[in-house]
Amino acid sequence: MKQRHVAIDPITRLEGHGKIDIFLNDKGDVDHAYLQIPELRGFEVFSLGRPSEDMPQITSRICGVCPTAHHMAATKALDDLYQVECHPVGRKIRELVYNTFMLEDHALHVYILGGPDFIVGPDAPKELRNVIGVIGKVGLDVGKKVISMRRRLRGIINYAGGKVIHPVLGLPGGVAKGISPDQIAEFKQIAAEGLEFAKFTLQVFKDIVLKNEAYVKLITSDAFTHKTYYMGLVDKDNKVNFYDGDVRVVTPEGKEYAKFPIRDYLQHINEHVEPWTYIKFPFLKNVGWKGFTEGGRSGVYAVAPMARLNAADGMATPEAQKAYEEYFKVLGGKPVHHTLANHYARVIEMIQAAETIVALVNDPQITSKDFRTLPTKTPKIGVGVVEAPRGTLIHHYETDERGLMRKTNLIVATIGNSARIAMSVDKAAKGLIKGGNVSDGLLNQVEMAFRAYDPCFGCATHTLPGEMPLIVTLRDLKGGVIKEIRR
Amino acid sequence: MGNDILGDDAVGFHAARSLRSEPFEGVDVVETGEAGLALLDHLEGYDRALILDAIATGKCRPGTVLSWGRKDFKDIVSPSPHFSGLPELIQLAERVGMHFPKDMRVLAMEVEDPTVFRESLTPGAAQALPALVSEARRVLAEWGHAQPAAMLTGGPRTRR
Repeated sequence: MKQRHVAIDPITRLEGHGKIDIFLNDKGDVDHAYLQIPELRGFEVFSLGRPSEDMPQITSRICGVCPTAHHMAATKALDDLYQVECHPVGRKIRELVYNTFMLEDHALHVYILGGPDFIVGPDAPKELRNVIGVIGKVGLDVGKKVISMRRRLRGIINYAGGKVIHPVLGLPGGVAKGISPDQIAEFKQIAAEGLEFAKFTLQVFKDIVLKNEAYVKLITSDAFTHKTYYMGLVDKDNKVNFYDGDVRVVTPEGKEYAKFPIRDYLQHINEHVEPWTYIKFPFLKNVGWKGFTEGGRSGVYAVAPMARLNAADGMATPEAQKAYEEYFKVLGGKPVHHTLANHYARVIEMIQAAETIVALVNDPQITSKDFRTLPTKTPKIGVGVVEAPRGTLIHHYETDERGLMRKTNLIVATIGNSARIAMSVDKAAKGLIKGGNVSDGLLNQVEMAFRAYDPCFGCATHTLPGEMPLIVTLRDLKGGVIKEIRR
Repeated sequence: MGNDILGDDAVGFHAARSLRSEPFEGVDVVETGEAGLALLDHLEGYDRALILDAIATGKCRPGTVLSWGRKDFKDIVSPSPHFSGLPELIQLAERVGMHFPKDMRVLAMEVEDPTVFRESLTPGAAQALPALVSEARRVLAEWGHAQPAAMLTGGPRTRR
């Protein structure tokens, strides 16, 4: 069958590493669509021979978007490597920083990155689908509130972590710095405001998205639905936990399939490789790789907010739990399979993060001057895990007896979703592009299929200012350009 | 701006460090690997901003220094899936009444491949670095910042 080739090829700073290729058949319908991600290269080799203590700083440089997640996964890998349990106060400080990061990062996505698609509308003019359009819709005061809240939350990370972008907080067995009692009154104020802000965001989401029938229809539409396994960290009560816990996997029907400590991840996760992309596709080893297919027989699984809520029995904090229960009620029961529900789940996670921050800054132990247990054992193998905003993030290190790196394996959050993202892009394209109609709004909705996962493709390529970051190329079977559309 | 473990992506840092070693009056030198909204924190409160960066357009010879002014960032051309670009930041700052640089210049060196982890510049980028520094010095002089000869202790900040 004759094919045409449509490429959505943004060349802006971050997403320059992602490109959607859509192949149309001779009827103008989608034959196949997939996401290509030319990954950053050589990190494993780059890390060899370095002191393992450097890993929290080095890995936080992998990405300018979520350095705190890498820093924390690396720090926890060092705990394991040096066989030391984190000091309880150090753990609380880490959790304070980490939940603050989750709240700030999720807020950024809700209002700035993914939110514009809903708040402004998926078919709104492209020049309005951004933070300016959001302000136009929700009001200037809300815009000011978002900016101010974000800055104040980053102040907590900055204080405890040294630097937001490359934190120097984590050490094996604890943290590098405690929290001064002089600081706590301000943190309590920020925490209280953060919780109000998270609850306000839920209300914004309800008012703008859930009350809009068309949006709810889009969220629950078949084009954005996949029945896969779901993965997330849970605490001892099987509640969502961003910082620590066992990895829990549930089936597409929502039943527990596996629950394991992160040290055992290689018994459960394997990675499939495709020739057309650098990205690897993790899958559940004991189910097996059956291609980009859904259902209980396919090892494809999902991570990130929607998956976390599916994989857990509930949220760990009361307000978030209420929102969790309402979420499943609104979306037709558990588990939720609608990719775009990630936006809703993200807001619920904001509430849990905020409530956790409030609890931690009100914990008298948080200002203790004792916050680290010194490691005394010889390092060998360490595996650390956190729930990054974008999903389960695993760092695996092996060293010699001096602690110099011999092996590094990272399963970054976006990679955990890679197979499902590829399926989402393919399905959305097939559902939305018919008869060769590739309008701008339709293309944006295809992009929405992967944007909902809040994917992170690394950060190195830069755009030429003023140029159109989206290029659509129609090609014949031999790759010749029939037409090129720039927007 | 850049990433100091992604080879030539750090060329802006190298240029900034060179400028820092010869402090200009009234100039703060800041290094950041951040993008998007986080840049507001670095830009707010300044009258002018000179951004030094790497760029991979594939449209000119590696080592070429490209330059843009604030007017080039006037229009938001498309939504970005993962961050807010300078055009959005500028409009956002204006909308919320933020004290934001009225004068903005971006100098970016074309680099070949900023996707490989390494701590050093490629020979080509290292060779072209003086041209980027020289152009940065010229912009600072154009903005009235004194040459460093008499400025050994750093100068007052322009932040209000």
